[in-house]
Amino acid sequence: MTIAALTKPWQALSYGFLDASAKRELRRKMLKAIAVPGCQMPYASREVPMARGWGTGGLQVTLTLLRPSSVVKVIDQGADDSVNAASIRSFLSKVSGATETWDTTAATILQSRHRIPEERLRADQVLVLQVPNPEPLRPVEPNMSIARQMHADADYGRLWLILYEQIVRSGRVMQGAAYPSLVNGRHVMTPSPIPRWDVPKLHMAQHLTFLSAGREKRLYAVPPFTRVEPLVFSDIPYQVEDHAALTCHRSGLRGYFMNEIPQDDGSAQFELSDSHLGIKAIRQAEGSAVEIGPTWYENGKMPQ
Amino acid sequence: MSLPTSVPVPDAFETRTNATFEALMWALSRPGTVQNLPAQGMAGIAEALLDRECRVFCDDPALAVQIATFGAARVDLPLADHCFLGLGRNIDRLAHVAVGSALYPDAGATVVAEAEFGAGQRLRLTGPGIETSDEIALGGIAPEFWAMRTAVCRYPAGFDLFLICGAQVIGLPRSITIEVL
Repeated sequence: MTIAALTKPWQALSYGFLDASAKRELRRKMLKAIAVPGCQMPYASREVPMARGWGTGGLQVTLTLLRPSSVVKVIDQGADDSVNAASIRSFLSKVSGATETWDTTAATILQSRHRIPEERLRADQVLVLQVPNPEPLRPVEPNMSIARQMHADADYGRLWLILYEQIVRSGRVMQGAAYPSLVNGRHVMTPSPIPRWDVPKLHMAQHLTFLSAGREKRLYAVPPFTRVEPLVFSDIPYQVEDHAALTCHRSGLRGYFMNEIPQDDGSAQFELSDSHLGIKAIRQAEGSAVEIGPTWYENGKMPQ
Repeated sequence: MSLPTSVPVPDAFETRTNATFEALMWALSRPGTVQNLPAQGMAGIAEALLDRECRVFCDDPALAVQIATFGAARVDLPLADHCFLGLGRNIDRLAHVAVGSALYPDAGATVVAEAEFGAGQRLRLTGPGIETSDEIALGGIAPEFWAMRTAVCRYPAGFDLFLICGAQVIGLPRSITIEVL
Protein backbone atom coordinates (compact mmCIF):
# COMPACT_ATOMS: atom_id res chain seq x y z
CA MET A 1 0.00 0.00 0.00
CA THR A 2 1.21 3.49 -0.86
CA ILE A 3 0.38 6.88 0.59
CA ALA A 4 -1.05 7.88 -2.80
CA ALA A 5 -3.55 5.00 -2.62
CA LEU A 6 -4.93 6.39 0.64
CA THR A 7 -5.53 9.91 -0.62
CA LYS A 8 -7.88 11.50 -3.12
CA PRO A 9 -7.35 14.36 -5.55
CA TRP A 10 -8.11 17.77 -4.06
CA GLN A 11 -11.66 19.06 -4.58
CA ALA A 12 -13.07 22.49 -3.74
CA LEU A 13 -16.34 20.89 -2.63
CA SER A 14 -17.52 17.31 -2.35
CA TYR A 15 -20.18 16.42 -4.88
CA GLY A 16 -23.53 16.89 -3.16
CA PHE A 17 -21.87 18.91 -0.36
CA LEU A 18 -21.58 15.99 2.11
CA ASP A 19 -18.22 14.25 2.16
CA ALA A 20 -17.95 10.56 1.30
CA SER A 21 -17.77 9.35 4.90
CA ALA A 22 -20.93 11.27 5.86
CA LYS A 23 -22.74 9.73 2.90
CA ARG A 24 -21.59 6.21 3.79
CA GLU A 25 -22.85 6.62 7.35
CA LEU A 26 -26.21 7.88 6.10
CA ARG A 27 -26.44 5.03 3.60
CA ARG A 28 -25.86 2.43 6.30
CA LYS A 29 -28.50 3.99 8.53
CA MET A 30 -30.99 4.46 5.67
CA LEU A 31 -30.73 0.74 4.85
CA LYS A 32 -31.34 -0.17 8.51
CA ALA A 33 -34.28 2.25 8.59
CA ILE A 34 -35.87 0.49 5.59
CA ALA A 35 -35.25 -2.92 7.18
CA VAL A 36 -37.13 -1.94 10.37
CA PRO A 37 -39.97 0.32 9.14
CA GLY A 38 -40.91 3.12 11.53
CA CYS A 39 -38.04 2.44 13.94
CA GLN A 40 -35.87 5.48 14.67
CA MET A 41 -32.22 4.93 13.76
CA PRO A 42 -29.62 7.26 15.26
CA TYR A 43 -27.18 8.93 12.87
CA ALA A 44 -24.41 11.49 13.12
CA SER A 45 -26.20 14.46 11.47
CA ARG A 46 -23.32 16.48 10.03
CA GLU A 47 -23.10 20.21 9.74
CA VAL A 48 -24.82 21.68 6.70
CA PRO A 49 -25.00 25.38 5.86
CA MET A 50 -28.38 25.74 7.52
CA ALA A 51 -29.48 25.92 11.15
CA ARG A 52 -30.58 22.70 12.81
CA GLY A 53 -34.35 22.57 12.93
CA TRP A 54 -34.80 24.07 9.46
CA GLY A 55 -34.78 20.83 7.54
CA THR A 56 -31.17 19.66 7.96
CA GLY A 57 -32.29 16.05 8.44
CA GLY A 58 -34.23 15.95 5.21
CA LEU A 59 -31.45 17.85 3.48
CA GLN A 60 -28.82 15.24 4.42
CA VAL A 61 -30.96 12.36 3.15
CA THR A 62 -31.63 14.21 -0.10
CA LEU A 63 -27.95 15.09 -0.55
CA THR A 64 -27.04 11.41 -0.13
CA LEU A 65 -29.50 10.40 -2.86
CA LEU A 66 -28.75 13.17 -5.35
CA ARG A 67 -27.14 12.56 -8.74
CA PRO A 68 -26.96 14.84 -11.80
CA SER A 69 -30.04 13.17 -13.32
CA SER A 70 -32.19 13.76 -10.21
CA VAL A 71 -35.18 16.09 -10.38
CA VAL A 72 -35.94 17.70 -7.03
CA LYS A 73 -39.08 19.31 -5.68
CA VAL A 74 -39.00 20.97 -2.27
CA ILE A 75 -42.17 22.11 -0.52
CA ASP A 76 -42.83 23.91 2.72
CA GLN A 77 -46.42 23.56 3.98
CA GLY A 78 -47.43 22.63 0.43
CA ALA A 79 -45.81 25.66 -1.22
CA ASP A 80 -42.85 25.51 -3.61
CA ASP A 81 -42.15 29.23 -3.40
CA SER A 82 -41.69 29.84 0.32
CA VAL A 83 -38.25 31.09 1.37
CA ASN A 84 -37.27 27.85 3.11
CA ALA A 85 -38.32 25.62 0.21
CA ALA A 86 -36.80 27.86 -2.48
CA SER A 87 -33.49 28.15 -0.61
CA ILE A 88 -33.19 24.41 -0.02
CA ARG A 89 -34.07 23.65 -3.64
CA SER A 90 -31.55 26.10 -5.05
CA PHE A 91 -28.87 24.78 -2.67
CA LEU A 92 -29.57 21.20 -3.76
CA SER A 93 -29.26 22.05 -7.45
CA LYS A 94 -26.13 24.17 -6.91
CA VAL A 95 -24.19 21.42 -5.13
CA SER A 96 -25.34 18.55 -7.35
CA GLY A 97 -26.35 19.85 -10.76
CA ALA A 98 -29.79 18.28 -10.25
CA THR A 99 -32.79 19.77 -12.02
CA GLU A 100 -35.27 21.82 -10.01
CA THR A 101 -38.99 21.38 -10.47
CA TRP A 102 -42.29 22.43 -8.90
CA ASP A 103 -44.15 19.59 -10.57
CA THR A 104 -44.90 16.59 -8.34
CA THR A 105 -45.17 14.22 -11.29
CA ALA A 106 -41.80 15.30 -12.75
CA ALA A 107 -39.78 14.95 -9.54
CA THR A 108 -37.65 11.94 -8.60
CA ILE A 109 -36.92 13.19 -5.06
CA LEU A 110 -39.46 15.26 -3.10
CA GLN A 111 -38.30 16.92 0.08
CA SER A 112 -41.16 18.21 2.13
CA ARG A 113 -41.94 20.04 5.30
CA HIS A 114 -45.38 19.28 6.74
CA ARG A 115 -47.28 18.13 3.64
CA ILE A 116 -47.47 15.24 1.21
CA PRO A 117 -48.47 16.43 -2.29
CA GLU A 118 -52.04 15.74 -3.42
CA GLU A 119 -50.95 13.98 -6.61
CA ARG A 120 -50.14 10.30 -6.12
CA LEU A 121 -46.45 9.46 -5.86
CA ARG A 122 -45.15 6.73 -8.13
CA ALA A 123 -43.00 3.68 -7.40
CA ASP A 124 -39.84 5.41 -8.65
CA GLN A 125 -40.21 8.47 -6.41
CA VAL A 126 -38.66 9.07 -3.00
CA LEU A 127 -40.38 11.32 -0.46
CA VAL A 128 -38.11 12.88 2.17
CA LEU A 129 -39.94 14.42 5.11
CA GLN A 130 -38.28 16.89 7.47
CA VAL A 131 -39.04 15.96 11.07
CA PRO A 132 -38.76 18.36 14.00
CA ASN A 133 -39.55 15.83 16.74
CA PRO A 134 -39.16 12.16 15.76
CA GLU A 135 -40.21 10.71 19.13
CA PRO A 136 -43.96 9.98 19.36
CA LEU A 137 -43.52 9.12 23.05
CA ARG A 138 -42.02 12.49 24.03
CA PRO A 139 -45.31 13.99 25.29
CA VAL A 140 -45.75 11.04 27.62
CA GLU A 141 -42.13 10.16 28.41
CA PRO A 142 -39.45 12.87 28.28
CA ASN A 143 -36.64 10.45 29.23
CA MET A 144 -35.42 9.06 25.93
CA SER A 145 -33.77 5.98 27.45
CA ILE A 146 -37.13 4.96 28.92
CA ALA A 147 -38.85 5.85 25.64
CA ARG A 148 -36.43 3.52 23.84
CA GLN A 149 -37.36 0.74 26.25
CA MET A 150 -41.04 1.46 25.61
CA HIS A 151 -40.45 1.11 21.84
CA ALA A 152 -38.61 -2.17 22.49
CA ASP A 153 -41.58 -3.44 24.50
CA ALA A 154 -44.14 -2.00 22.04
CA ASP A 155 -45.54 -0.29 25.15
CA TYR A 156 -47.73 2.36 23.52
CA GLY A 157 -50.67 2.42 25.94
CA ARG A 158 -49.97 5.98 27.04
CA LEU A 159 -50.40 7.26 23.47
CA TRP A 160 -53.95 5.92 23.48
CA LEU A 161 -54.36 7.62 26.85
CA ILE A 162 -53.55 11.01 25.26
CA LEU A 163 -56.20 10.40 22.60
CA TYR A 164 -58.67 9.25 25.25
CA GLU A 165 -58.08 12.39 27.34
CA GLN A 166 -58.61 14.56 24.25
CA ILE A 167 -61.93 12.84 23.57
CA VAL A 168 -63.02 13.22 27.20
CA ARG A 169 -62.05 16.91 27.31
CA SER A 170 -63.12 18.03 23.86
CA GLY A 171 -65.43 15.40 22.50
CA ARG A 172 -63.09 14.48 19.67
CA VAL A 173 -59.44 13.70 18.94
CA MET A 174 -57.67 17.07 18.93
CA GLN A 175 -54.33 15.80 17.52
CA GLY A 176 -54.09 17.99 14.42
CA ALA A 177 -50.67 17.12 13.03
CA ALA A 178 -48.01 14.47 13.64
CA TYR A 179 -50.72 11.91 14.37
CA PRO A 180 -49.04 8.83 15.96
CA SER A 181 -49.26 5.89 13.57
CA LEU A 182 -48.40 2.22 13.87
CA VAL A 183 -46.00 1.11 11.15
CA ASN A 184 -45.89 -2.52 10.01
CA GLY A 185 -47.87 -3.44 13.12
CA ARG A 186 -44.84 -2.95 15.37
CA HIS A 187 -43.36 0.56 15.81
CA VAL A 188 -45.34 3.73 16.43
CA MET A 189 -43.87 6.67 14.54
CA THR A 190 -44.73 10.29 14.25
CA PRO A 191 -45.31 10.93 10.53
CA SER A 192 -43.76 14.44 10.97
CA PRO A 193 -46.22 17.33 11.40
CA ILE A 194 -48.29 16.48 8.32
CA PRO A 195 -52.03 17.04 8.82
CA ARG A 196 -54.30 14.07 9.51
CA TRP A 197 -55.38 14.48 5.86
CA ASP A 198 -51.97 13.20 4.67
CA VAL A 199 -51.38 10.21 6.96
CA PRO A 200 -53.48 7.73 4.89
CA LYS A 201 -51.25 8.57 1.90
CA LEU A 202 -48.40 6.68 3.58
CA HIS A 203 -50.44 3.49 4.03
CA MET A 204 -49.54 0.82 1.43
CA ALA A 205 -48.08 3.53 -0.81
CA GLN A 206 -46.14 2.95 -4.02
CA HIS A 207 -43.28 5.25 -3.07
CA LEU A 208 -40.49 5.08 -0.50
CA THR A 209 -40.58 7.60 2.36
CA PHE A 210 -37.66 8.71 4.52
CA LEU A 211 -38.29 10.80 7.62
CA SER A 212 -35.23 12.49 9.01
CA ALA A 213 -34.68 14.71 12.04
CA GLY A 214 -31.36 16.56 11.80
CA ARG A 215 -31.49 18.27 15.19
CA GLU A 216 -32.52 15.07 16.97
CA LYS A 217 -30.12 12.97 14.84
CA ARG A 218 -32.56 10.20 14.02
CA LEU A 219 -34.03 8.90 10.80
CA TYR A 220 -36.69 6.34 9.98
CA ALA A 221 -38.41 5.09 6.86
CA VAL A 222 -41.69 3.80 5.48
CA PRO A 223 -40.95 1.40 2.60
CA PRO A 224 -43.49 0.93 -0.21
CA PHE A 225 -46.48 -1.29 0.59
CA THR A 226 -46.10 -0.95 4.35
CA ARG A 227 -49.05 -0.70 6.70
CA VAL A 228 -49.31 2.72 8.37
CA GLU A 229 -52.28 2.76 10.72
CA PRO A 230 -53.16 5.85 12.77
CA LEU A 231 -53.86 4.95 16.41
CA VAL A 232 -57.63 4.87 16.91
CA PHE A 233 -60.25 3.34 19.13
CA SER A 234 -62.39 0.66 17.52
CA ASP A 235 -65.58 2.68 18.17
CA ILE A 236 -64.13 6.08 17.14
CA PRO A 237 -62.86 6.00 13.56
CA TYR A 238 -59.93 8.04 12.26
CA GLN A 239 -61.13 11.35 10.87
CA VAL A 240 -59.29 13.59 8.46
CA GLU A 241 -59.84 17.35 8.41
CA ASP A 242 -63.27 18.38 7.18
CA HIS A 243 -62.01 19.90 3.93
CA ALA A 244 -63.85 17.74 1.40
CA ALA A 245 -66.53 20.39 0.73
CA LEU A 246 -64.21 23.42 0.56
CA THR A 247 -63.48 25.14 -2.74
CA CYS A 248 -60.24 26.93 -3.58
CA HIS A 249 -61.10 30.57 -4.38
CA ARG A 250 -58.23 30.88 -6.86
CA SER A 251 -58.25 27.63 -8.81
CA GLY A 252 -61.82 26.46 -8.20
CA LEU A 253 -60.61 22.98 -7.20
CA ARG A 254 -62.58 21.18 -4.54
CA GLY A 255 -61.92 18.29 -2.20
CA TYR A 256 -58.29 18.85 -1.26
CA PHE A 257 -56.48 20.16 1.81
CA MET A 258 -56.98 23.93 2.06
CA ASN A 259 -55.35 26.91 3.74
CA GLU A 260 -57.80 29.20 5.47
CA ILE A 261 -57.35 32.88 4.59
CA PRO A 262 -59.18 35.12 7.11
CA GLN A 263 -60.99 38.08 5.54
CA ASP A 264 -61.56 41.60 6.91
CA ASP A 265 -65.27 40.99 7.38
CA GLY A 266 -64.64 38.01 9.66
CA SER A 267 -65.37 35.39 7.05
CA ALA A 268 -62.75 33.13 5.50
CA GLN A 269 -61.65 32.14 2.05
CA PHE A 270 -59.82 28.97 1.20
CA GLU A 271 -56.97 28.18 -1.14
CA LEU A 272 -55.20 24.95 -2.01
CA SER A 273 -52.35 24.09 0.34
CA ASP A 274 -50.60 22.15 -2.45
CA SER A 275 -49.74 25.33 -4.36
CA HIS A 276 -48.51 23.75 -7.57
CA LEU A 277 -51.68 21.69 -7.94
CA GLY A 278 -53.51 25.02 -7.86
CA ILE A 279 -51.16 26.50 -10.45
CA LYS A 280 -51.74 23.50 -12.71
CA ALA A 281 -55.51 23.82 -12.36
CA ILE A 282 -55.41 27.55 -13.18
CA ARG A 283 -53.20 26.95 -16.24
CA GLN A 284 -55.49 24.15 -17.37
CA ALA A 285 -58.50 26.45 -17.06
CA GLU A 286 -56.62 29.03 -19.16
CA GLY A 287 -56.25 26.44 -21.91
CA SER A 288 -52.62 25.35 -21.48
CA ALA A 289 -51.78 21.72 -22.03
CA VAL A 290 -51.06 20.88 -18.40
CA GLU A 291 -51.56 17.40 -17.07
CA ILE A 292 -52.75 16.92 -13.49
CA GLY A 293 -51.69 13.48 -12.26
CA PRO A 294 -54.03 11.11 -10.44
CA THR A 295 -54.63 12.33 -6.89
CA TRP A 296 -54.87 10.38 -3.64
CA TYR A 297 -58.16 11.96 -2.67
CA GLU A 298 -60.97 11.75 -5.20
CA ASN A 299 -63.97 14.04 -4.66
CA GLY A 300 -62.67 14.73 -1.17
CA LYS A 301 -62.51 11.05 -0.23
CA MET A 302 -59.61 8.65 0.05
CA PRO A 303 -60.57 5.46 -1.83
CA GLN A 304 -60.28 2.44 0.45
CA MET B 1 -19.47 30.33 2.24
CA SER B 2 -19.62 30.95 -1.48
CA LEU B 3 -20.66 28.09 -3.70
CA PRO B 4 -18.81 27.31 -6.92
CA THR B 5 -20.42 28.89 -9.96
CA SER B 6 -19.86 25.92 -12.25
CA VAL B 7 -22.10 22.87 -11.98
CA PRO B 8 -20.39 20.21 -9.87
CA VAL B 9 -19.70 16.92 -11.58
CA PRO B 10 -19.47 13.65 -9.63
CA ASP B 11 -16.27 11.67 -10.07
CA ALA B 12 -16.28 7.97 -10.95
CA PHE B 13 -16.16 6.95 -7.29
CA GLU B 14 -19.17 9.09 -6.37
CA THR B 15 -21.18 7.93 -9.41
CA ARG B 16 -20.41 4.26 -8.68
CA THR B 17 -21.15 4.34 -4.95
CA ASN B 18 -24.31 6.42 -5.45
CA ALA B 19 -25.64 3.93 -8.03
CA THR B 20 -24.69 0.98 -5.80
CA PHE B 21 -26.55 2.49 -2.86
CA GLU B 22 -29.59 3.24 -4.96
CA ALA B 23 -29.69 -0.42 -6.07
CA LEU B 24 -29.34 -1.59 -2.45
CA MET B 25 -32.01 0.87 -1.27
CA TRP B 26 -34.59 -0.31 -3.83
CA ALA B 27 -33.59 -3.95 -3.31
CA LEU B 28 -34.36 -3.64 0.40
CA SER B 29 -37.49 -1.52 -0.20
CA ARG B 30 -38.94 -4.07 -2.63
CA PRO B 31 -37.77 -7.44 -1.34
CA GLY B 32 -37.49 -10.09 -4.02
CA THR B 33 -37.06 -7.70 -6.96
CA VAL B 34 -33.78 -7.88 -8.85
CA GLN B 35 -31.84 -4.59 -8.96
CA ASN B 36 -28.79 -3.86 -11.08
CA LEU B 37 -25.48 -2.90 -9.51
CA PRO B 38 -22.99 -0.83 -11.50
CA ALA B 39 -20.29 -3.52 -11.07
CA GLN B 40 -20.06 -7.24 -10.44
CA GLY B 41 -19.45 -8.76 -7.05
CA MET B 42 -19.39 -7.73 -3.41
CA ALA B 43 -16.49 -5.29 -3.51
CA GLY B 44 -18.69 -2.49 -4.86
CA ILE B 45 -21.12 -2.89 -1.97
CA ALA B 46 -18.25 -2.68 0.50
CA GLU B 47 -16.99 0.44 -1.27
CA ALA B 48 -20.39 2.17 -1.01
CA LEU B 49 -21.02 1.35 2.65
CA LEU B 50 -17.83 0.67 4.57
CA ASP B 51 -15.19 2.80 6.20
CA ARG B 52 -13.21 3.02 9.42
CA GLU B 53 -16.37 3.07 11.53
CA CYS B 54 -17.26 -0.51 10.46
CA ARG B 55 -16.32 -3.98 11.64
CA VAL B 56 -16.34 -6.59 8.95
CA PHE B 57 -16.30 -10.37 8.74
CA CYS B 58 -15.17 -11.72 5.38
CA ASP B 59 -14.76 -15.31 4.17
CA ASP B 60 -12.92 -14.54 0.98
CA PRO B 61 -9.26 -13.55 1.57
CA ALA B 62 -9.03 -11.65 -1.73
CA LEU B 63 -12.11 -9.58 -0.88
CA ALA B 64 -10.80 -9.03 2.65
CA VAL B 65 -7.70 -7.36 1.22
CA GLN B 66 -9.90 -5.02 -0.85
CA ILE B 67 -12.12 -4.22 2.14
CA ALA B 68 -9.06 -3.48 4.26
CA THR B 69 -8.26 -0.58 1.93
CA PHE B 70 -11.57 1.06 2.93
CA GLY B 71 -10.37 1.05 6.54
CA ALA B 72 -12.90 -1.33 8.10
CA ALA B 73 -11.63 -3.54 10.92
CA ARG B 74 -11.63 -7.28 10.30
CA VAL B 75 -13.28 -9.06 13.23
CA ASP B 76 -14.87 -12.37 14.19
CA LEU B 77 -18.40 -13.07 13.00
CA PRO B 78 -20.34 -12.17 16.20
CA LEU B 79 -18.69 -8.71 16.35
CA ALA B 80 -19.17 -7.77 12.70
CA ASP B 81 -21.76 -5.23 11.52
CA HIS B 82 -21.19 -6.26 7.90
CA CYS B 83 -20.62 -9.90 6.93
CA PHE B 84 -19.48 -11.04 3.49
CA LEU B 85 -19.81 -14.79 3.35
CA GLY B 86 -21.00 -17.87 1.52
CA LEU B 87 -24.31 -19.49 2.39
CA GLY B 88 -23.68 -22.76 0.53
CA ARG B 89 -22.41 -24.66 3.58
CA ASN B 90 -21.29 -24.15 7.17
CA ILE B 91 -24.63 -22.54 8.04
CA ASP B 92 -24.39 -23.20 11.79
CA ARG B 93 -22.14 -20.19 12.26
CA LEU B 94 -24.99 -17.88 11.22
CA ALA B 95 -26.44 -18.42 14.68
CA HIS B 96 -23.65 -16.09 15.81
CA VAL B 97 -24.33 -13.21 13.39
CA ALA B 98 -25.11 -9.98 15.28
CA VAL B 99 -28.89 -9.45 15.29
CA GLY B 100 -29.11 -6.51 17.68
CA SER B 101 -32.01 -6.46 20.10
CA ALA B 102 -35.48 -5.00 20.40
CA LEU B 103 -33.77 -2.13 22.23
CA TYR B 104 -31.14 -1.60 19.51
CA PRO B 105 -32.43 -3.03 16.21
CA ASP B 106 -29.78 -1.04 14.32
CA ALA B 107 -27.09 -3.31 15.82
CA GLY B 108 -28.30 -6.13 13.55
CA ALA B 109 -25.74 -6.99 10.86
CA THR B 110 -25.93 -6.60 7.10
CA VAL B 111 -25.09 -9.94 5.49
CA VAL B 112 -23.92 -10.04 1.87
CA ALA B 113 -23.71 -13.41 0.12
CA GLU B 114 -23.56 -14.97 -3.33
CA ALA B 115 -26.60 -16.79 -4.71
CA GLU B 116 -28.06 -17.97 -7.99
CA PHE B 117 -31.26 -16.18 -9.08
CA GLY B 118 -34.24 -17.85 -10.75
CA ALA B 119 -33.23 -21.45 -10.00
CA GLY B 120 -33.24 -23.70 -6.96
CA GLN B 121 -35.35 -23.34 -3.82
CA ARG B 122 -38.67 -21.57 -4.37
CA LEU B 123 -39.61 -19.07 -1.68
CA ARG B 124 -42.72 -17.03 -0.96
CA LEU B 125 -42.13 -13.56 0.48
CA THR B 126 -44.64 -11.47 2.40
CA GLY B 127 -44.22 -8.29 4.41
CA PRO B 128 -43.29 -4.62 4.01
CA GLY B 129 -42.35 -3.72 0.44
CA ILE B 130 -44.49 -6.48 -1.09
CA GLU B 131 -48.08 -5.65 -2.00
CA THR B 132 -49.52 -9.13 -1.45
CA SER B 133 -46.93 -11.86 -1.82
CA ASP B 134 -44.08 -12.59 -4.17
CA GLU B 135 -42.37 -15.80 -5.24
CA ILE B 136 -38.69 -16.08 -6.05
CA ALA B 137 -36.26 -18.95 -6.60
CA LEU B 138 -32.76 -18.91 -5.16
CA GLY B 139 -29.96 -21.41 -5.70
CA GLY B 140 -26.59 -21.91 -4.04
CA ILE B 141 -27.95 -21.52 -0.51
CA ALA B 142 -27.98 -24.42 1.96
CA PRO B 143 -31.59 -25.59 2.56
CA GLU B 144 -31.27 -25.29 6.34
CA PHE B 145 -30.45 -21.56 6.04
CA TRP B 146 -34.08 -20.45 5.84
CA ALA B 147 -35.12 -22.16 9.08
CA MET B 148 -31.98 -20.73 10.68
CA ARG B 149 -32.94 -17.22 9.54
CA THR B 150 -36.45 -17.55 10.95
CA ALA B 151 -35.06 -18.78 14.27
CA VAL B 152 -32.44 -16.02 14.55
CA CYS B 153 -34.43 -13.02 13.29
CA ARG B 154 -36.88 -12.24 16.07
CA TYR B 155 -38.26 -8.98 14.68
CA PRO B 156 -37.27 -6.15 15.24
CA ALA B 157 -33.96 -7.88 15.95
CA GLY B 158 -32.40 -9.69 13.02
CA PHE B 159 -30.00 -9.39 10.13
CA ASP B 160 -30.60 -8.01 6.66
CA LEU B 161 -29.54 -10.03 3.67
CA PHE B 162 -28.25 -8.92 0.27
CA LEU B 163 -27.84 -11.69 -2.28
CA ILE B 164 -25.53 -11.07 -5.21
CA CYS B 165 -25.56 -12.78 -8.59
CA GLY B 166 -23.02 -11.17 -10.91
CA ALA B 167 -24.05 -7.51 -11.09
CA GLN B 168 -27.53 -8.15 -9.72
CA VAL B 169 -28.79 -7.91 -6.17
CA ILE B 170 -31.85 -9.08 -4.22
CA GLY B 171 -32.51 -7.66 -0.75
CA LEU B 172 -34.24 -9.62 2.00
CA PRO B 173 -34.72 -7.40 5.05
CA ARG B 174 -35.48 -8.85 8.48
CA SER B 175 -39.01 -7.43 8.31
CA ILE B 176 -40.30 -9.90 5.71
CA THR B 177 -41.53 -13.45 6.23
CA ILE B 178 -39.98 -16.09 3.98
CA GLU B 179 -41.91 -19.27 3.39
CA VAL B 180 -40.05 -22.23 1.89
CA LEU B 181 -42.23 -23.81 -0.80
